Amino acid sequence: MTIDRDRILQVLDKAHAGPVYRDKDFNLKVIPGALARAVKKYGLANTCDPENPVNRDDDLADRYYHAGFEAAVEIGVLCKDTSRAIRFTPEELQQGIDAAPSEFWLGEGSQRVCYKHRAPEDPIKPLWTVPLSIAVTEDVIVPLVEGLARIPEVDALEGPSLETVWGRPLRSGSPYEHLAGRYQADLMREGIRRAGRVGMPMDAVGSSTTHYGVLGGYGVPGGYRPNADLVLILSIADFWTSYESFFKLTQVSVCGGSYISASSWCMLGGYPGGPEGTAVACVAYGLLLWAIFQGSRCGVPPFDIQYMGNCGRRAQWAMSVANQAVSRNTPGVLHSINNQVAGPCTKMVLYETLVGMTNMAASGVSNVVGTRSAGGRLTNYLTPLEHQFGGEVYKAAAGISREQANEIARCFIPRYEDQLRERPDGKSFKDCYDVDRLVPSAEWQRMYDEVHEEALRAGLKL
Amino acid sequence: MSEQQVFDALRTAILEGDDALSTRIAGQLGGDVPVLMQAVDVAIGTIKEVGDRFGRGDCFLPEMVLAAESMLAFMKIASPQLEKATGKVRKAGKVVLGTVKGDVHTIGRDIVATMLSASGFEVVDLGVDVAPMDMIKAAESSGAQIIGLSALMTTSMPYQQETIALLNELQMRDRFWVIVGGGPVTSDYARRIGADGWAADAAAAVRVCTQMLSSQGQPSGASLIYEERGR
Repeated sequence: MTIDRDRILQVLDKAHAGPVYRDKDFNLKVIPGALARAVKKYGLANTCDPENPVNRDDDLADRYYHAGFEAAVEIGVLCKDTSRAIRFTPEELQQGIDAAPSEFWLGEGSQRVCYKHRAPEDPIKPLWTVPLSIAVTEDVIVPLVEGLARIPEVDALEGPSLETVWGRPLRSGSPYEHLAGRYQADLMREGIRRAGRVGMPMDAVGSSTTHYGVLGGYGVPGGYRPNADLVLILSIADFWTSYESFFKLTQVSVCGGSYISASSWCMLGGYPGGPEGTAVACVAYGLLLWAIFQGSRCGVPPFDIQYMGNCGRRAQWAMSVANQAVSRNTPGVLHSINNQVAGPCTKMVLYETLVGMTNMAASGVSNVVGTRSAGGRLTNYLTPLEHQFGGEVYKAAAGISREQANEIARCFIPRYEDQLRERPDGKSFKDCYDVDRLVPSAEWQRMYDEVHEEALRAGLKL
Repeated sequence: MSEQQVFDALRTAILEGDDALSTRIAGQLGGDVPVLMQAVDVAIGTIKEVGDRFGRGDCFLPEMVLAAESMLAFMKIASPQLEKATGKVRKAGKVVLGTVKGDVHTIGRDIVATMLSASGFEVVDLGVDVAPMDMIKAAESSGAQIIGLSALMTTSMPYQQETIALLNELQMRDRFWVIVGGGPVTSDYARRIGADGWAADAAAAVRVCTQMLSSQGQPSGASLIYEERGR
């Protein structure tokens, strides 16, 4: 399956012919209005249950799906460059969803991996992609990637992103970003080679904030591989898109590539409102991204605007019901992100990971990308160890019941929820790792061991 | 309608984001200075209450934006009446706000713009992907005292620094206070690039802007006025 150029053109036609909106009207009237109507029609008001952060009700998940589908048709996606909404008929939207593959392979040789559709409580092992596009300095990117690629539970690589290119600040939307595309591919591949995992799939391009990094790194000689790697299309805000995202899509098309990750987030407390509206929005926007970008994997996690993460009760609940809605009602490969706020060398980041990863495994997510160590706020604040823990938990949680995931959430959320807004930054890679030997400090290892033991006691077969 | 009923109706109009009602109430107040001043206090108190509720997660962005618009609709009529009657201008200051070049994220800037407007600042919102020189030109032409630079990506943060560098090179640094913010922007970074202000969230941004304008000194980036979360 390659990218269908006719479908790209049809969507672009919509971006140039759809109804015109002022930004404010779209954000304040169209989005909240459609979501409120869907919440009301399907009886979803006050269904968020913070005491039980993982939904266990299939009927409720299905109602969220239908609400999301209808909201998707009504809202569409606003193109920033044309100020027009891209809208689909219900039939067109369904065709876009049905066209998504239920499985696909990435990588080469011994490192090829199969991304497969999963249902809630599915025993199929999910795939773990690391890390998120957190900024790192040029001196640590190769050892860090090596340390991450050495982790057996890691299936693919996405970030980190570069803070500088050959010593110059990586300015988004500039020629520096264009150069960074290919440069990052080289550095990532060197880390992978050192880890002995040549052929490992990568998500292109961690450092590409705009489209320039993808144009410079994907499909070019020595760059990211059109039939072994995928391109990340991360849209800009709830129900918004832009030419930048379309350039990434067209680059995949002109390079003969096939695989796209179309994702974004919905802000809990932002324009979609509370947890119920946000969960409907996550479903709706995710379905639209499948239809617009021909995604091989798609997903829209919530992000709580109160603490810029999603490991609190309301966000975990919204994430669980939205993911179950999509994984129960579509054939596609569902992707999601666990947004921790605490940094490396804290127990909190491990507790957040434990809660989020079990929730996503039990809710039918096929592929999680993480960890958002220190909320992605700080340069060099990520280490292999929290990613190892994330992979261990995610894979061990394949096949567990939502009831068990809920019990884990109920047990561990109280360990950190009062720190979500005043979260600990922890320590940087250089400060809690021996960068040459790629081993964690005794302090960080001890924290990992203790939380690992708690996870075992909670019933996870790590 | 008694004065208290009018104030209650104004409060309701703001809480419910009903700008038509708040406009109507403002029109009914006339030129009675004590009543006008009390009504303005009610409006300010109500919008602060909405901001606090938003901060606690008890209300959401659409409600806050609509409440702010209702408040602004009221102030648009009430402020000139008050100024005319008292001869005093009641304006907090003017802020040019934008998401920096290479960055198209909007929501953080939207919240800051809303909170500043609701707190009496005049906000010139330049939108997203704003080049450093365009930011400065807008500040100059609008007569703003403050430039607000938002960045959500580490790869767009250099444009905050470059805007300040341009101000220095154009010998305009002392004309504009510069406040920076956004997910990955820390107070250390703000200090390092020579910003005047940094705030962890929108409510803090309002207080920092207020503090900058009440400062005796001139903007220079020599010391940072900043506020962490949770105050």
